[in-house]
Amino acid sequence: MKSQIFDVAIIGTGAGGGIAIKTLTEAGLKVCAINAGRRLDPAKDFRNHRMPWDMQFRAFGDPADRKNVVGFMDAEYTAGVWEREIPFTTAPGTEWTWPRCFAVGGKTNFWGRSSARFGDIDFKAKSISGVGEDWPVEYKDIAPYYSRVEKMIGVSSSVQNRPSNPDGEYLPPFNFRCLDHIIKAGADKVGIPYLSDRVAQLTRNHEGHPACHFCGACTFGCDSGSFFSTPWRFLPKAEATGNLDLRTNAVAKNILVDKEGMASGVAYIDRTTGQEVEVRAKAVIVAASCLASAHIFLNSKSSKYPNGIANSSGQVGRNLCDHMYGEPVTGHLPQLIGQPPFPDNVGDCQVAWMPRWQNLDDPRAEKFVHGYSMYPWGGVTEFPWYATNVEGYGSSYKRAVKRRYPTPISFTIQAPTLPQPGNFLDLDPKVTDKWGIPAARLHFQWDDNTLKMWEHAKVHVKEMLLAAGGVPETAADVKPLSPGWSLHETGTLRMGNDPKHYVTNRWGQTHDVPNLYVADASLFPDPTDKTTTLSIIAFSLRTSEYLLDNFNKRVHKRA
Amino acid sequence: MGAAAVASHFPGFVNWSFAEGHAHPAGTPPPPRKYQPLFFTVSEYAVITKLSELIIPTDETPGAREAGACEFVDFMVAHDVEAQKPMRAGLVWLDERSRREFKRPFLELKPGEQSSILDSLAFRAKHRAGEDAGREFFERVRGLTVMGFYSSEVGYRELDNPALRSWGLSPACPHTNDRAHAHLPPPKWAP
Repeated sequence: MKSQIFDVAIIGTGAGGGIAIKTLTEAGLKVCAINAGRRLDPAKDFRNHRMPWDMQFRAFGDPADRKNVVGFMDAEYTAGVWEREIPFTTAPGTEWTWPRCFAVGGKTNFWGRSSARFGDIDFKAKSISGVGEDWPVEYKDIAPYYSRVEKMIGVSSSVQNRPSNPDGEYLPPFNFRCLDHIIKAGADKVGIPYLSDRVAQLTRNHEGHPACHFCGACTFGCDSGSFFSTPWRFLPKAEATGNLDLRTNAVAKNILVDKEGMASGVAYIDRTTGQEVEVRAKAVIVAASCLASAHIFLNSKSSKYPNGIANSSGQVGRNLCDHMYGEPVTGHLPQLIGQPPFPDNVGDCQVAWMPRWQNLDDPRAEKFVHGYSMYPWGGVTEFPWYATNVEGYGSSYKRAVKRRYPTPISFTIQAPTLPQPGNFLDLDPKVTDKWGIPAARLHFQWDDNTLKMWEHAKVHVKEMLLAAGGVPETAADVKPLSPGWSLHETGTLRMGNDPKHYVTNRWGQTHDVPNLYVADASLFPDPTDKTTTLSIIAFSLRTSEYLLDNFNKRVHKRA
Repeated sequence: MGAAAVASHFPGFVNWSFAEGHAHPAGTPPPPRKYQPLFFTVSEYAVITKLSELIIPTDETPGAREAGACEFVDFMVAHDVEAQKPMRAGLVWLDERSRREFKRPFLELKPGEQSSILDSLAFRAKHRAGEDAGREFFERVRGLTVMGFYSSEVGYRELDNPALRSWGLSPACPHTNDRAHAHLPPPKWAP
């Protein structure tokens, strides 16, 4: 049998891969999608409609498995979907939490859904502040793609008229809860913006998908498809074209190259057999997620590319950035003590956020450059996590827990790091996975600029909570979460105009290999103060159409 | 959240969900009459049961007893090798402490005697020197009891957990005339 040559091979089916698969199959191209994990079955794998007493360990998880758990999302509700077989390592002194969902749809199955647009304050960061990177795109280049993506996936928010977080095309926002009104009053007093978050979760029926019905626990997967994920929205459309060959349990090993040094396909390991399989294609898109994509590039060594494919700049795997996550301020709202519980978290969503407010008018006003955003969390949660901090036992304890049920509040920081020479990914010289593929090794430390943001938030968000009449109860030794928690890593295949310093051009096409493209957050020179997923989809849509144009012209030249 | 009745079948649990009125599909074996502890001995389990009922008592509302919280404590410890030794040592500590002060095992003490022991473990102001092991043990039992109680349907009802109901639209703050929430009526249930 003569082996098929696909038009495009795409590694990864998450946010970036999903939109590329949809766009190219709908345009008539034959696509082979390579995905490292299995397909999920919403009826079995999404347990969001189960109550804790329907779970064996009441959703707390098996204590015997505690050491193997990877991040907060690897919980009993999502057991069996997180990658535990393929190893990665950390350099001495590096901590990294890496919850990898390699199932079809990737992390879009279990994501936080916050979906703000990047703006020129992000794309021109270096011009504005003198530090960091300018992107090879401007807001006006990407804005039309944001609009198309928002209409496709459904994003709920309000018009806010702040150029630093540009408005999009939105469904109605989530309604403010009691706690939002209380905090907003304090935020107004101290000049911190407190606004509706942009949430890729439907407040109205949209494109054939039902509106959210507020069952809670969204981050454990949505079995009604009311928030965006590629298995609900993009992949069924792609499969309906008949142009998609989706290979599951296929661990991408390396990108194949021909004599001219062009990409000619992908080699992967079939996890069910352990056999290596080669897929031939005229173009390749890598969208395996920031770290995994760079890992595949580094493992794609050949006589033409001894240091990994598309790595003449030496920048593959470098410039690793992340969002610092953590709760610099926690406390409670005494106004709500003893009040009837309000369904604060049945949407399990970020109803509100505090978009970057620092360094806007004067880029060097603070002790740090750029800025961070915050998300409020709190009110009534399903489990009263604060209960272990309530002293005592007996009827008085029981009453105290009930009185405080609506009151807890905390604020999560989302602070971007700057590219640092010491923060990167390379191949571990000793450790391989069970098929012999060298493991990714991570080198990462928080930088001073980001740590200053953390300290700033501790002071200013506390001030806001006090102004709102809240009671701060932050532990004296509060620390950020370990790197990796946010899942917002960027930069390892960053885009830029100069081939000497950047891996891809402004279209996500690698400078060295014109038919090899990147379509995930590894392109982004830094994480900004916003979340990455919406931008991954928008940039991937733009890259996919650029590839399609090249394909139709039968050229794959350097741009 | 809808109750997923089919998921509620873990061998041996009496009060977790079986006793909470879940519908069972045809052919399901009848629930067992009595919980058989997986880790604790019968006499140890009796102490754990008593402790859980003192931690979350049955008063105006159901407590740990109705929620079967002690079954959860046993189940979790049975799956947590690291917790087993300290749990058993803690039970010995409690027994010795009871006999030293009151000449009888904990279960035979009067309520006031039991609470005099637990108060010194539970309240910072009443901590006594040399009781670190006892405090650690009590915190373990208290932590698991609290987890077991508030993750049960009984615990959800205790807090009037909003997840027990369906919400068709994004719920909105009802206090339209009091955005500052400065003049909310006092809660009816609280003393």
